Amino acid sequence: MSEKAFLGKLYNDGDVIVEEGSKSRTMYVIQSGKVKVVKKEGERETTLAFLGEGDVFGEMSLFDASPRSATIIAVGEARVLAIEHEGLLKKIKVDPTLAFNIIKQMSRRIRNLNSKLSTIFRTITDTNDKLKKFNPENIETIQKELQKLYDTFIQMDLHTH
Amino acid sequence: MIRTKELNLKNGSRIVVIGGGPAGAFFSIFASKLAQDLGRKLDITIYEKKIFDNQGALGCNMCAGVISESLVQSLALEDINLPSSVVQSCVDSYYFHTQNGNIKIKSSRIQQRGIATIFRGGGPKGNAGKDIQSFDEFLLHKAVEHGAKVKHIFIDKINLNDDKPVIYAGERLQNDCDLLVGASGVKANSGKIYEKLGIGYKIPSTIRATQSEIELGSDWIANKFGNSIHIFLLRIPGVKFVSVIPKGRFITVSLLGNEPNVEYIKMFLAHPVMKQMLPQGFKIPDKFCHCFPKINIKGAKNPFADRLVLVGDASSVRLYKDGIGSAYITSKAAAHTAILYGIGKQNFEKHYLPVCKNLDADNLFGKLLFSVNDFVSYTALLSKGYFRTIQQEQADLHKTTHHSDILWDMFTGSRFYKEIFIRTLNPRYILNLLFTITSTSLLDMLSIQPKK
Repeated sequence: MSEKAFLGKLYNDGDVIVEEGSKSRTMYVIQSGKVKVVKKEGERETTLAFLGEGDVFGEMSLFDASPRSATIIAVGEARVLAIEHEGLLKKIKVDPTLAFNIIKQMSRRIRNLNSKLSTIFRTITDTNDKLKKFNPENIETIQKELQKLYDTFIQMDLHTH
Repeated sequence: MIRTKELNLKNGSRIVVIGGGPAGAFFSIFASKLAQDLGRKLDITIYEKKIFDNQGALGCNMCAGVISESLVQSLALEDINLPSSVVQSCVDSYYFHTQNGNIKIKSSRIQQRGIATIFRGGGPKGNAGKDIQSFDEFLLHKAVEHGAKVKHIFIDKINLNDDKPVIYAGERLQNDCDLLVGASGVKANSGKIYEKLGIGYKIPSTIRATQSEIELGSDWIANKFGNSIHIFLLRIPGVKFVSVIPKGRFITVSLLGNEPNVEYIKMFLAHPVMKQMLPQGFKIPDKFCHCFPKINIKGAKNPFADRLVLVGDASSVRLYKDGIGSAYITSKAAAHTAILYGIGKQNFEKHYLPVCKNLDADNLFGKLLFSVNDFVSYTALLSKGYFRTIQQEQADLHKTTHHSDILWDMFTGSRFYKEIFIRTLNPRYILNLLFTITSTSLLDMLSIQPKK
């Protein structure tokens, strides 16, 4: 990546761009590369999604001023442009269509989440049925199904961006 | 009661855009996008005589070539991300060279390289490299991606006598359309075409700047000019203002003088302050790429009629700043008016004209702000304290940076001038500035060095 011509900030693999729980209202647009959205619970780290060029993140804090809901980490080299929140809100007030792309991305994510939730409910019901007819031989099948479910979620994100 | 005929764009309506620079491309992109959101498809043709990939005057639209922080961010949100082949340098600061020393100003809000410098065409004449992609060509290509067609034909006549606008090239009929969009800048020839239509259009008042591109090599520029746009507030006779914009291997020298004259560029390059920034033994080439771009100082009159709207430089532009950003604002407003409200004179009057008037009114505040800044900067007794305030603020950007933010927003075009002006009325800011100016002047008179 040419040093002279990168807009925004360049992050290297593993660099934390946004920390979960931190307070900031800046929104970001990925100019190039990829980032992952990670949720931490104690020592456990769950990847919720991968985002790529043209995707925005941090848009929820822009509108509701709450602490960051997840951590964003660069996957490889990622070039990210920060959008200053006060300036953006003023621009949206004059030209509401500027928020269209953000709204389009948010609605795509809501659709994606709905789809994920429906898969989760279906898997929980299936797993519950199998546990009712508990047989030690089923444990491996259940584990495989759960792994498949997790992989599917990650794939769903990759395919939507 | 007489009801005026309602003029609207329908599915398949034909739009002709004259001029394929940023204003024409933006109009086409936003009209297509909004029409698509509403389930309509438009037939848009852009007429542009130039091929922007060409080097020198053949491809260039004569402009300083700075995409403001605000526009870079807006474009990113519009899904128009500038590739590194288009962006020549990324800027994070402004560097002021004054009689009383140098000051670098960074934004206190976001520390990033947020300003892009670009070439409108394929780079300066004689540019040997192939690494420059024209910004105008990139944007025109975006318009094509959104469905617009491009024809490299020079349109020299428009007729509004019939029901629909008709365009001609060399007396030869080219097209008729439901809506005609004038996006051909402030060139006198193209302006006259619209003035002759009898719609009351009057081309904007302009002054001419002097501009040149000089090759110094990317390493030298990175080392001497860094990631800053350099503003020179020096007392060169006949010269009001000079900015030097880094662009990869080149610098663009943009100068506002009493008259457009390439001799001013030579005088500036020979000035001791600028000489320090140039390689040892640098000689001004006998021939170098230069031009005299027009700068709008007053908006156009009546930039619309039934089935006709003028955008970009041909209508209203922000004073001294952000010409491409102004094209974005006016083109988007015109496109949305045409799609959402209609293409009649009354539609543009109600929904487009206020946007132009806001820009024109805002420029009055800009004029005032730049006049005050020039007066203080060039008055020896005041300028030391004035710039000392900035030095103090820039030492710690986490503290109050009122004065720096005002200058940052003025020079980058990040905020409207009216908003900046209102901020200058803050009593704490005024008191602090007056205190620093007075104390610095007193210490200076008593020859006491202020504590660092």
